[in-house]
Amino acid sequence: MKQRTFTDISLKAWAVIVFGFLFAPILIIIIYSFNEGRLLVAWNEFGLGSFATIATKPAITDAVMVSIQTGFIAALIATALGTMAGVALARRAGKWAPWFLILLVLVTVTPEIVDAVSLLPWMVFLGQDAGLSIFDNGIVRLVVGHSLFSTAVVAYIVRSRLIGIDETLEEAAADLYAPPFKRFTQITLPLVMPAVLAGGLLAFTLSLDNTIVSAFVQVSGTTPWPVYVLSAVRSGLRPEIASVSTIMLLLTLAALGLVAYVLRRAGDSPTDIAKTVGGG
Amino acid sequence: MKLPGFALAIPAWAWLFAFFVAPVALVVWFSFGYKPGIFGTHANDVLSFDRYAEALSPTFFSTFQNTLWVGVVGTLICLAISIPFAYWLAFKAPVARRGILLAMVMIPFWTNFLVRTIGWQIILAPSGLLSTALQSIGVLDEPLEILFTRTAVLIGVVYNYLPLMILPMFVAFDRVSLPMREASKDLGAGRWSTFLNVTLPLAKPGIIVGILLVYIPLMGDYITATVLGGAKGNMAGQMVANQFQTAQNWALGSAMAVVLVLTILTTVLIAALVSWLATWPLRASQRLVLGDKS
Repeated sequence: MKQRTFTDISLKAWAVIVFGFLFAPILIIIIYSFNEGRLLVAWNEFGLGSFATIATKPAITDAVMVSIQTGFIAALIATALGTMAGVALARRAGKWAPWFLILLVLVTVTPEIVDAVSLLPWMVFLGQDAGLSIFDNGIVRLVVGHSLFSTAVVAYIVRSRLIGIDETLEEAAADLYAPPFKRFTQITLPLVMPAVLAGGLLAFTLSLDNTIVSAFVQVSGTTPWPVYVLSAVRSGLRPEIASVSTIMLLLTLAALGLVAYVLRRAGDSPTDIAKTVGGG
Repeated sequence: MKLPGFALAIPAWAWLFAFFVAPVALVVWFSFGYKPGIFGTHANDVLSFDRYAEALSPTFFSTFQNTLWVGVVGTLICLAISIPFAYWLAFKAPVARRGILLAMVMIPFWTNFLVRTIGWQIILAPSGLLSTALQSIGVLDEPLEILFTRTAVLIGVVYNYLPLMILPMFVAFDRVSLPMREASKDLGAGRWSTFLNVTLPLAKPGIIVGILLVYIPLMGDYITATVLGGAKGNMAGQMVANQFQTAQNWALGSAMAVVLVLTILTTVLIAALVSWLATWPLRASQRLVLGDKS
């Protein structure tokens, strides 16, 4: 019995250490967002100056707006394409399904840098050589780049959710003469809604976070937030970067809380929510 | 009218084909070309494997080696941290608080990748928190010289990808039902024996997903190396980016990108083969036990 408690205590201690590790840099960023110094990394004194500076720098607010806009559109596209693909994989899998899954796996295992260097010449080709001027638009380029990985992820999540649910409800609807489209919107879609929401949220945050692809495909004038930060890493980091991050963290937490609330009202337990988000 | 089964998958397929398959194929095509003069980025009128030879020449090969080292060691550290942590979360943590604890694991994951890496830059700086703390308790006599080394890059990548290992591993442990583990204990197995022979094998799929989710992006990462590694912590991703952005040699950059993808695929296949071979005697003996009983 004694040995048992010892193991339990060590496991708990380990968990506390891991949480400390996970939170350390985030707490640091929050603290340093109140730094009055000129440079982010050199602590000077406490103050709210950097939060006031944000408003006077249109480059920062523009970059954040570009990121939010891109995240929204990319998440919409990835969720629409991924949900349809996930439903097809779970309910209508035929000979095509393994090949399609291979494509999805390839998309997921390709490192972002490879996507980035591939998309740059491709966008230039489409925009200039093929004359499709829409691909010279910064937002379009970012949305395309951000939607690829997310589409695959949403397809996985929706597929695994639907595979776990019996098909009887849809069959019953078909027996009652519901046309295919109505069956999809009234039965299948509500069933996969938690997965769709989780996937969409994941797609949105992945887009907000995306640095590598963005740095390559971006057009000057539509610089997303992470690329702005990356250029600041090279030219000198100022405390405003931390302040913006603190605000964005609070907004993300609020959005997460909202989604968790919606999912819980839809009847999922916290563990189920995490499972859906984790792609299990 | 009945639509074929794959109709719903067509939009996603078309999208991925236009913006993934086609551009990647273009890069593979570039990798067989060369850089014509100072101002050209690529040309394909003469095809050869020369860019691959160049990408694997000693200058660049050491970077691939370094990337592989960081990738493998980083993934192993993530694994070592995650197994006890995910085990605790799935079996020991209070059930009512599990949702909040999971959300807490995800918080860093939802914070900007770059910004949290910059947080580590502040912590690891010679005049930073860790250095000051270690000096004041007397562990170190002089400032900590860890920033812009390979160790700093390792800390950064472990940190950045750890939640991706913990989540699928937790899901996998959570699926191992309590009756299964209790049955093992009732049949006389100890805690370690239950863990090694029942829990771990049943959780294997989730653990594999975790390893892949960490290893693959880690191998292609160059942001962490740029922020924490300086010049010394060179990663293959940085090298590929340099060829495209600075050197303007798309042919060589493409070859490097292809080599990077092949390195990832090969190492994953080797790891799969090794683990399959290593568990061969184990599976053979288990099959024998089952055979005796029936």
